[in-house]
Amino acid sequence: MDINSIQTQIEGDLAGVVSVQALEEARIKYLGRKGMIAELTSSIPGLAAEQRGIFGQQVNALKNKLLGLFEEKEKTLKTQSSVLKKSNLDVGMPGIVQELGHIHPITQIIDEICTVFNRMGFSVVQGPEVETEYNNFTGLNIPLEHPSRDAFDTFYLKDYSKLLLRSHTSPVQVRVMKTQKPPLAMVVPGRVYRPDAVDASHLFMFHQIEGFLVDENIRFSDLKGILELFAKNVFGRDISMRFRPHFFPFTEPSVEVDISCIICKGRGCSVCGRKGWLEILGAGMIHPNVFKQVGYAPGIYTGFAFGMGVERITMLKYGINDIRLFFENDLRFLRQF
Amino acid sequence: MKVTYSWLKKFVDIIISPQELAEKLTMSGLEVVSLEKRGENFVLEIEITSNRPDWLSVLGIAREVSAITGSKLKTINFQEPKIKRKNLRPLKISVANKQDCSFYSARIISDVRVSPSPEWLKDRLESLGCRSVNNIVDITNYCLFELGQPLHAFDLDKLSQNEIRVRRANANEKIITIDGATKLLGPEILVIADAHHPIAIAGIMGGKETEVTFKTRNILLESAVFNPLLVRLAKQRLGLQSESAYRFERGVDSEAVRNASLAAQELILKLASGTPSGFRRLGVSKVTHPVINLDVAYLNKLLGTAIPVFKVKQILNRLGFHLKTKSRNILAVKVPGFRQDLKLPVDLVEEVARIYGYAQISPTLPAVKPGRKVLDKRDVIGNIKNILWGLGLDEVITYSLVDRGLLNKSGINTDAGLIEILNPLSKEQEVLRPALYPSLIRALAYNLDQQQERVSIFEVANVFSGRLNAVAEDSLLGIALCGDSAFFTKQGLVREEITLLHLKGILETLLNRLGVKGFDFLRQEDNKINIIINQKQVGFMLDLAPQTLGAFDIKNRQVVLAQVNLEQLSGSINLEKKFLNIPKYPAITRNISFAINEDIPVKGLLMAVEAKGAPLLAQAKIVDYYQGKQIPVGFKGLTLSCIYRVDDRTLTEGEIAPLHQDICSLLEERFGVKLR
Repeated sequence: MDINSIQTQIEGDLAGVVSVQALEEARIKYLGRKGMIAELTSSIPGLAAEQRGIFGQQVNALKNKLLGLFEEKEKTLKTQSSVLKKSNLDVGMPGIVQELGHIHPITQIIDEICTVFNRMGFSVVQGPEVETEYNNFTGLNIPLEHPSRDAFDTFYLKDYSKLLLRSHTSPVQVRVMKTQKPPLAMVVPGRVYRPDAVDASHLFMFHQIEGFLVDENIRFSDLKGILELFAKNVFGRDISMRFRPHFFPFTEPSVEVDISCIICKGRGCSVCGRKGWLEILGAGMIHPNVFKQVGYAPGIYTGFAFGMGVERITMLKYGINDIRLFFENDLRFLRQF
Repeated sequence: MKVTYSWLKKFVDIIISPQELAEKLTMSGLEVVSLEKRGENFVLEIEITSNRPDWLSVLGIAREVSAITGSKLKTINFQEPKIKRKNLRPLKISVANKQDCSFYSARIISDVRVSPSPEWLKDRLESLGCRSVNNIVDITNYCLFELGQPLHAFDLDKLSQNEIRVRRANANEKIITIDGATKLLGPEILVIADAHHPIAIAGIMGGKETEVTFKTRNILLESAVFNPLLVRLAKQRLGLQSESAYRFERGVDSEAVRNASLAAQELILKLASGTPSGFRRLGVSKVTHPVINLDVAYLNKLLGTAIPVFKVKQILNRLGFHLKTKSRNILAVKVPGFRQDLKLPVDLVEEVARIYGYAQISPTLPAVKPGRKVLDKRDVIGNIKNILWGLGLDEVITYSLVDRGLLNKSGINTDAGLIEILNPLSKEQEVLRPALYPSLIRALAYNLDQQQERVSIFEVANVFSGRLNAVAEDSLLGIALCGDSAFFTKQGLVREEITLLHLKGILETLLNRLGVKGFDFLRQEDNKINIIINQKQVGFMLDLAPQTLGAFDIKNRQVVLAQVNLEQLSGSINLEKKFLNIPKYPAITRNISFAINEDIPVKGLLMAVEAKGAPLLAQAKIVDYYQGKQIPVGFKGLTLSCIYRVDDRTLTEGEIAPLHQDICSLLEERFGVKLR
């Protein structure tokens, strides 16, 4: 029998194999220690010298071919196990996966808020954390020595006069407006610093998001509209809101924005101090003096600006009760988000 | 600031409930932070914004209640009484600089009977949280709370030579204040002095020596206007707080000074008898009343409202402003003396909006004109964070302010070049960090302490360095890894300690995904490997040295970390995507397993193979790595995968066989590998 017909025969045989067991039997029959290939190999020494080389190569090629065929057949049989074999998979066993990491909750909330404003057409910009006294105060209509500055206690740098760690993100308003003309629609997330004594709700470093919209004919009613859209997107459709007059040196009229307490739905609880309302941001129409400081001609542009504390919003959203947890970086905390 | 419901009624009729009043005040800008029942009365605690010193009194809040409710404000104007000259030495008053004190007045009241205050007075003061002292002191406090003007009573007989000098303190002058503390003064501090030495710190606190006691017979009642800035600076410098300073630094109503002093005198005469025996004053109490023209059309345009002119006029009138109608839409508004905060038309817009009600203004949505979309740093950082958390890393946020100790422990020299904070509250805030990784090691060590098996964290944040007279701020990426990398296979859980190669894998994935081309890793020191792009270093990987691990109390663990400067990296980032044709023809893959001396770097070998194999060899890569049984000591076992492919045809075995043989020979001859 020549090699080719042997191969044809084996291929025919293999085609009829339908179980792993039968395949193993076929393997022993052809490739086993006493199988057909072994038999053929052992017959070589008995051949005429001139035939040995060619026949040897043919047997070897056949063997290689068969190894491939058997391997393939085995794969086919195993992947068709649904028909052929009862699965012993225990789905209670842990799945096999590359675990994902976690994004810090502060970053997540910043992203969420920026995305809401992005969808409304605002772009995201950033500014430096080391600022000039001018951008942090004077440019924003905050006199250097006035009780209105008490709200902005500030870290100053040694050896660098007039430089400080920004105490809010508002100086980016000044930076942007000094270099660009309206229309401007921007949000500015970032770190800010204040020398506050550390406790469960105060830290010397935290995050703010500043936003501003400047164009011809921007109105106070627009401020209400945009901030309502924002708050409902972040805190849910069913919250109520109130806009309270307030004072900030860089806006006029100024406003503080409250949402109905998301814990007690406005009935009054310990989170909202029994008031039923939670203050979430400060805002207002950009003060004409700020426009003057950045060199905009008077009377052309109006706009509004707002600022919010990211830690506070994150704490409210997730029910976190201690601001220090954010920067302790305990993985048991971070991996919850 | 506290105020009671019944006290307010002295100045304005209120028909709404205290709760309703609190709500209305809050919604007009006087946030009522608490409303407490006290007997039959109610105490409202109100947060007063720093621009409104005129609200720091019962009268001021009553004025607001009048504006909100429309009830008329009832004010009381006192008349100057007849002065009965007593046989007292004449009082001498001098003000050294009228910039420091624009107005000073002193009343002499003789033969007073200092005694405890009547119950009603005690109760009123106590309801506001003010301790009762004696009738004279209580009356000055009462007038402060009721009218907003701080007053001070001196024991006249304790004054040296019946003299009042309003002057700056001399260097090294001292005073013992009524709270018993000794304060060292200086020329930046304004004092009230007698002929010899300071008897009060102007506008802040009186001195112990001249305080009114139960033995006092004759008093000097001071009512003055001090420079707000001076009061503020002195208060900060001396670390003093008082109701008086709180009002002076915000600015008092000069025009109400006299009335307040008359009110106090009248009450003193009533409760402590006594005789008005002298009145002296210096300076001016009149202030200018600027006229602001308010265009109602501008008001409505800015607010997005249609408030009629008559309504605007009504609101301004109720707020106590005098106004004239200049034309149909233009109102000339005369600013009252107590509203020094009003300067621009927009200030009046806020006044009208407040009283009209922010809630009455319907929200609108503006047409937002989006700016140019530019790829900025934040997009890149967002990408980086997404890739890293996908690779199983947790993001941390650590403080930008650190203590030198942390830097020292991490092997950073803190002798020079650091940016120091001028006014830190604690040592933990003494410098701005020049590197990210010290904070990351600390966060990592903290988590190991919390029994975490594996810590793989990253942070993107700014670091700071001084460059000429400026501060450079660079955005950095830091990664720190420690512990076992564990993953399931069909053979079960496989654990292995995280090494620099794990870190390298993360960085390679990151850089590739950011479209960075031509990056390389070069060993600088035994445990430090530089990350290079186009011959420039952009960062490094570090295998923490035992002494650093020891400094952070990390035991029996290996920590690897990386720091990449994103400013330097940014030029190489390319997030633009471009399509390349999918290979049409199949590839032929040939694997070569061999043992190679472990000192021979793989990178050179791969480069040599790729050079040899071009152009048929599309890619050569290490696909397996083994050290142990079957591999001689000092060698590593590698499997090199050669992928042959061209774009215009299917390669045949015959074409690649000789080339592959050449590559095998190259490996044996040039790199001395032992094929397996």
